[in-house]
Amino acid sequence: MVKTVLTVDDSVSIRQMVTFTLKSAGYAVVEAADGEEGVNKAKAHAVDLVLTDQNMPRMDGLTLIKTLRGLPQYQATPILMLTTESSDAMKSQGRAVGATGWLVKPFDPQKLLEVVKKVIG
Amino acid sequence: MTEHGYEELLAPNIYFDRQHNTEAAKILPGEYYATARDMLLVTVLGSCVCACMRDKVNGIGGMNHFMLPEGGLDKNNPLGDSARYGTYAMEILINQLLKLGAKRGNLEAKVFGGGAVLRGFTVANVGERNAEFVLRFLRTEKISIVAEDLLDIYPRKVYFFPNNGLVRVKKLKKMHNDTIINRETDYSTRLHFAALEGDVELFN
Repeated sequence: MVKTVLTVDDSVSIRQMVTFTLKSAGYAVVEAADGEEGVNKAKAHAVDLVLTDQNMPRMDGLTLIKTLRGLPQYQATPILMLTTESSDAMKSQGRAVGATGWLVKPFDPQKLLEVVKKVIG
Repeated sequence: MTEHGYEELLAPNIYFDRQHNTEAAKILPGEYYATARDMLLVTVLGSCVCACMRDKVNGIGGMNHFMLPEGGLDKNNPLGDSARYGTYAMEILINQLLKLGAKRGNLEAKVFGGGAVLRGFTVANVGERNAEFVLRFLRTEKISIVAEDLLDIYPRKVYFFPNNGLVRVKKLKKMHNDTIINRETDYSTRLHFAALEGDVELFN
């Protein structure tokens, strides 16, 4: 069965790049432009993996992860942060709210696919 | 030099500009700076481009200074080094503006540079590629471009006052030394040899 990835980023350019990468590897992709839209899309679709940016209008990535972890259907779903933030302090905040992993931009398409494959197959 | 060779740095050169009687930051190739304070951001561009971006409501603004990695072949590849690095250089500035309190929907940009000043480059139109990229990126992101001064053959000195959005551009018709070209060539070389990818960490 085709796995679905929710990609959340306020940058259209980044969403295009991530979507292109994932679709070329056979994944279905749902897009959202900020954390709030991300929560709504996650409720409306059965999502196997969430890939989210940190700095976004309305709701940031950390808050999105915290919110999703509070929903019964997203307690065990892999959630990866894909962000320009590279500090250990930010990473440990990510870990604390329940992120599965942390990817620092710019992302290498092959590496992204390897990580996605590792966490959802 | 940064750990990875490509990382955009928050400009470390802050000084007092006597001519304009204000605090100023000098942005070198590969650097960016964003501020909520009333200050001046200055850069000198050859074939590089800079985006002067600000929230038109609260005046929080910043500037980057970058070029695309040389390659040429990946121009139309949406996942090539050029697209990925250029997008990163723009995004890191936007993120810093958002962190300081700018609203994405209020952002407007003025863009400069992309001059054909590096004649020795193997890719002849390096300035043109940089100019095309920055315009395309801003259109894709729906950030309005309120002024531009791109291409041509002269280096430019750009003064940006983020608080009120004013920009002054001085075209440098005479270069007294090779500093601009040397800086850009070093930067280009650094990008060429850098692996343009960030770290990946899976938590347990």
